[in-house]
Amino acid sequence: MMSKQVSYWTEFYKGLYDQNPIFRQVLGMCPTLAVTVSGPNGLAMGLATSFVLLFSGIVISSLKNLIPKQVRIAAYIVVIATFVTIVDIVMKAKFPEMSKDLGPFIPLIVVNCLILGRAEGFSSKNNITRSVLDGLGMGVGFTIGLTILGGIREILGSRTIFGLQVLPDAFEPWVIMILPAGAFLTLGLLFGLLNFVELKKKTKKIKEDQQRALAEIKKLTESSEEDLAVKEG
Amino acid sequence: MELVLVFLSAAIVNNFVLAYFLGICPFIGVSGKLSSAFSMGLASTFVMVIAATVTWLIYHMILVPFNLEFLQYVSFILVIASLVQFVEMFIKKVSQPLYRALGIFLPLITTNCAILGLALFSVLREYGFLESIFFGLGAGAGFILALVLIAGIREELDLAEVPAQFKGVPITLIAAGILAMAFMGFSGLISN
Amino acid sequence: MNNVTKMLVVLLVIGVVSGGLLAYISDWATPIIKENARLETERAVLEVHPGSTKQIKIDNAGFELYQVMNEKGDITGYAMPNEGTGFQGKVKIMMGMTPNLDEITGLKVLDQVETPGLGAEIVKDYFTGRFKAISTQPEIKSVKGKKPENPNEIEAITGATISSVAVVKIMNDGIKKVKDYLSTQEKKEGAK
Repeated sequence: MMSKQVSYWTEFYKGLYDQNPIFRQVLGMCPTLAVTVSGPNGLAMGLATSFVLLFSGIVISSLKNLIPKQVRIAAYIVVIATFVTIVDIVMKAKFPEMSKDLGPFIPLIVVNCLILGRAEGFSSKNNITRSVLDGLGMGVGFTIGLTILGGIREILGSRTIFGLQVLPDAFEPWVIMILPAGAFLTLGLLFGLLNFVELKKKTKKIKEDQQRALAEIKKLTESSEEDLAVKEG
Repeated sequence: MELVLVFLSAAIVNNFVLAYFLGICPFIGVSGKLSSAFSMGLASTFVMVIAATVTWLIYHMILVPFNLEFLQYVSFILVIASLVQFVEMFIKKVSQPLYRALGIFLPLITTNCAILGLALFSVLREYGFLESIFFGLGAGAGFILALVLIAGIREELDLAEVPAQFKGVPITLIAAGILAMAFMGFSGLISN
Repeated sequence: MNNVTKMLVVLLVIGVVSGGLLAYISDWATPIIKENARLETERAVLEVHPGSTKQIKIDNAGFELYQVMNEKGDITGYAMPNEGTGFQGKVKIMMGMTPNLDEITGLKVLDQVETPGLGAEIVKDYFTGRFKAISTQPEIKSVKGKKPENPNEIEAITGATISSVAVVKIMNDGIKKVKDYLSTQEKKEGAK
């Protein structure tokens, strides 16, 4: 059990931004870069990963007391690979087009560091409710990240969002965006942008803190001056 | 000739890291120093070649004859995980210096997408036994190449004036993007 | 010792449960996946033969070949899937031909892994549309950077010449196969 219990809401919410798998933890980079040539692809990959994340989390957290420590990684891997195979088979049967697009990157969810990382780092130490919330949060965070990245690359690389043309024909599509190089560049720039925002937030907070502190000091000195004045008076 | 093509294609033209994004985690994680990048690349290549061999045998000798293709992912990842463990023990026994150099990287290899990716691609492309091995060799060579290149770039970047917001991961990704563009120049090298 | 047994038992149980579950799901999905593939082929066959409604698979050809008919049952031509190597990997197409194989009635690219934005443009209608009513005599030819002058020429995609040429080659190979098959059939008929 974790020594400090946080609220259920935080357990879910942390995956969205504070511990976003892509932008904060830099986990699961292979699919992040590989399949995000378009919004729908990013979304589908995100959902598939979330499914595996959620269910392997449930199984692992309910089995956590049964699995001997020495073989836990092997056991986790089998559980994860089983759910990945289920996703793969179901997608092939029900969404053949999407399955073709994502191709070998669905099975590669098995080695997505995010999933094993959550299994080992979270589900094996927490109860089912918390594992579900954590899995959902991380999954949603991951999906949002993938969809944004896919969306940006799709707009600039094919002029469309989810297949709908949004940029005029006069806009020459940036082919580089849907090529591998574009994936690295877009993600790198997004990371930078996020850091920029964070840095600004931090400096703003520091400034606010400073101002608050100054105001406090001022107040204190004023009150002490008043005290002095009272005493002298 | 075919085998050479498979090798070159995996190593350069369709570089595993820069074109297929396989093995990005270690690519970003351990590519800070040239020496550790090379060791990591070497250890991964070692596992890759063995994994390519063993998974080919398992798939074509066990899974296909018994109609068990649906166990492909489970069995492949188990093979890779146990291989890594095995290699770790083996190296520990045989060469202490090598173990000290590679030791900390070995557990990381299990979750290196490049290894499982290699096994999956080799099934998908219907490679023969020898082709699979050369594919493994090529992918490993390509992995080392990409890792060493980016590590070299990062060592230089440490000395460059990078805006604070872009330090670390962002600038590494952008450098990788430019490297990927450079590697696009190789495409078309092998096509006929 | 007790611990080791426990380890083995736990792993075994997990393995068996996982294997059973997957076997069950795969049993459910396999017919659906096969049906999907069949429907896709069927749809593609009619797509490359606009106006036709019926198709029969020719069984003794030694490769996949479909005879296509219209409402009234008149033979409108043949359709065949064929594959070959493109710029980066396998390209699989479906093409339709007139009954005497003189003209192409349509083309559809089923599978490809070409470069997005460049080679992958071969799947787009503007490219496959160029093959409509193209003569196969003596064989299809691709021209670069100029408008086609002869009835057997098509214009390659700018920036994706290799992929375009690959498609043309796959088509010519396919036509040759069908031609050989039909002529042996004719000989057999004649012998009777």
